[in-house]
Amino acid sequence: MSEQKLKHFVPTPPRLPATNEQNLLRRIQKQCFNSIGNSLLTISVLVLIYYVAKSFLDWAVFNAVWNAATRRECMDISPDGACWAGVIDWFNGLIYGRYPDEEQWRVNGGVVMGLLWLLPLMNRRIAYRNSILISWITLYPFLGAYMFLGGTFGQDVGIIHMVFTSLAAGYFILLYLNWMLCAAGQSSLPERVTPLTSKLFRRGQHMNGFLLVWAVLSILCGVALAQVNLEPVPVDRWGGLFLTLIIASFAITMSIPVGILLALGRRSKLPVIHWLSMMLIELVRAVPLITVLFMAVTLLPIFLPSGAEPDKLSQVLFAVCLFAGAYMAENIRGGLQAIPDGQYEAAQTLGLGYWLTMGLIILPQAMRLMIPNIMTSFISMLKDTTLVSIIGLFDIMLMARNISNDKNWIGLHTEPLALISILFFVMCYGMSQYSLNLEKRLKAHRS
Amino acid sequence: MNFISPSRPKPGIANSIFSCLNKDSTRGVVIQAATLGLVLAVLLYLFSNSAQNLDRLGLSFGFDFLQTTAGFDISWSLIAYDPSMSYWRVFLVGIVNTLFLSFCVIVFGTLIGTIVGILRLSHNPLVSQLARCYVEVVRNVPLLIQIIFWFTTVFSALPPPRSGYGFAGLVFLNNRGFYMPSAVTDMSGWLIAAGSLTLFGTLWFLLRGIRRQQRQSGSVSRSYRIAFALWGLVLCGMALIVGSSLRWSVPALQGFNIEGGMFLPSAFGAAFIAMTVYRSAAIAETVRAGMESISKGQHEAAATIGFSRFQTLRLILIPQAVRAIIPPLANSWLVATKDSSLAVAIGFPELVSVFMQTSVNQTGRAIEIISMVMGFYVVVSLIISYLLNKYNAHVQIKAR
Repeated sequence: MSEQKLKHFVPTPPRLPATNEQNLLRRIQKQCFNSIGNSLLTISVLVLIYYVAKSFLDWAVFNAVWNAATRRECMDISPDGACWAGVIDWFNGLIYGRYPDEEQWRVNGGVVMGLLWLLPLMNRRIAYRNSILISWITLYPFLGAYMFLGGTFGQDVGIIHMVFTSLAAGYFILLYLNWMLCAAGQSSLPERVTPLTSKLFRRGQHMNGFLLVWAVLSILCGVALAQVNLEPVPVDRWGGLFLTLIIASFAITMSIPVGILLALGRRSKLPVIHWLSMMLIELVRAVPLITVLFMAVTLLPIFLPSGAEPDKLSQVLFAVCLFAGAYMAENIRGGLQAIPDGQYEAAQTLGLGYWLTMGLIILPQAMRLMIPNIMTSFISMLKDTTLVSIIGLFDIMLMARNISNDKNWIGLHTEPLALISILFFVMCYGMSQYSLNLEKRLKAHRS
Repeated sequence: MNFISPSRPKPGIANSIFSCLNKDSTRGVVIQAATLGLVLAVLLYLFSNSAQNLDRLGLSFGFDFLQTTAGFDISWSLIAYDPSMSYWRVFLVGIVNTLFLSFCVIVFGTLIGTIVGILRLSHNPLVSQLARCYVEVVRNVPLLIQIIFWFTTVFSALPPPRSGYGFAGLVFLNNRGFYMPSAVTDMSGWLIAAGSLTLFGTLWFLLRGIRRQQRQSGSVSRSYRIAFALWGLVLCGMALIVGSSLRWSVPALQGFNIEGGMFLPSAFGAAFIAMTVYRSAAIAETVRAGMESISKGQHEAAATIGFSRFQTLRLILIPQAVRAIIPPLANSWLVATKDSSLAVAIGFPELVSVFMQTSVNQTGRAIEIISMVMGFYVVVSLIISYLLNKYNAHVQIKAR
């Protein structure tokens, strides 16, 4: 009997989980107050945070003046608070520069159109997203330039610009008409004209249908745009955040093709091309951006025939494009070097030539490998656009500095700088967080 | 094996040209020749344009302007300068000022960056998050904004010289800049520089010889000891000679300004602080990445032997991390040198400001001046990358 009793297994109740992991107070104690030195450190950090946060909030929020006509009035209301009234007064200038007030809807419209053009890229169910991106890079600049510059067709808009603007507008409308038709479950416009094109062409009815619809829409757009008379706004009136974003987005978009060409050139087996690309890359990377900008502004007028002198914005865009391209080339080269030889050999086995190997096999992998570096480059390009203020373009930085020259707001330096610092912080930090997120997603995708 | 050729038609002349183009080697030559021709044509076009434009503007090309008198003043210079000196001197002033600013930024930025990078790895979450905030805020705001912020908001808001801050009658801070006592000597600076250069050159050779001998024989011979002692004697003697001619120049308020001593303009202060802060954030990230590249086993092994956290850091982690940190760190120093050109925005007289802005405006010799400035930066970057390559070869783990 007693043996049977012994055999009966009585489990001991499970131990409670370790409490120090559960209890917040215990954890804080363990991490922040585990020794005298650490406690002192924690307390001094807390005091520092309290002091900095309090003085900043006092200045920026609690003692701040939001409504005043001049800086003197601000000082009278609250001598040691921020004078946001001046920034609010100049807010329009910070965003649009010296763009005429009644034409600013065009800036908004142009930017919104550019974003809408890119919107289909977010939808993974849409086919041919690459061609939408390429159309954005090649066609949108004409439409955007027309919106921002203004002018009348046939008078101050050149013939090439007219044609491409119409093509861009036609593409844009076609894109959205198709999207709406497909969303409604109908067949798209090119499919509707396929019966017509199949009579005209033996092959490629679909492609030809697309081209036909695009051409018709473009002509319609061109005719419609010719009736519109937009007030011309010269480039030197552009400014503010608008100009900063134009320069930054130009640098970012152009850096990729320029960088790819330079990187391929540098990896080329042909000595002339290799050396030329390498010299260009190394020269541009060895000097500061400001010298490249000065070079573009002072040397381009000398090197180009007299009379064909481009405006300052074009000179700056040229310099920024060169600079960003050289940096991007090194990023892409890093990616190219990481691709194993087997990939090249496999592509050769399939009978692909140089450009097809690069475009279809090597570059997509190399670019994906280098996404973190490429994003870092994009962020530094965005930050570097502030340098154009030194050579006198009215970007957001120079507009912010100019507020202190306004006779109502003389000496108002800190508040505009604080505002644009916060703006840049939000943009750059957002981009870096997005890049981290992308990296994580791609890593999860690969493994 | 040759079973295709019989069915092939005999190549005609046109066919042979095209088939020639299909060969990789021929095509390479053609592509290269075309590229070279295009580049040369563009260069020639630009050159002829520039010759025409220079003619039209009544300018000429040449470096003879370097000998002419500059005629403008430079607000602050580390080496002696006055308006009667030549443009070559202006170039040197710019280079020295640029190098001085970048040197200060590199030294202090590396120190602060290392500290912040280590704090970023602290086990105390409050400390590591504070360090992270510092790095993120500083890194994501453009450097130019920070420079102008320090200049307009902090340094220009200081009181004027008469009511500025002073400490013990030796150091002064006001809206013109920072004053501190300095040592003045009547001896020529070149002499002192040459003397110390030879002295330290000899020391380097001596130490190298001693180390080589120690590695080979395990001990140091007597002649080396005597040479070393002699070197010390020479050092003492030179210090005495230089020291006897030294006088202290103390800044003092005279009228509306402070005279004497060493003066650093407020533009230097603003550029220095902003760039140091910015550089330290970048270096902190480098240091953190280097430290995190060490595997966790090293921490655990050190803990097993009973090392304290500080000992682990000093004896295990840092020596290994240095190998991963130095290349990006040297790159960061190079970027610091290039970034020092941003001080032009607040009128600090560095190379771009005095040479690329003022001198171009004065002489119109844009091509020559811009190529000289770019040449300077290229030389600096070549030197740094050469040293870096040497160092890399030196510290690489040697497989034996």
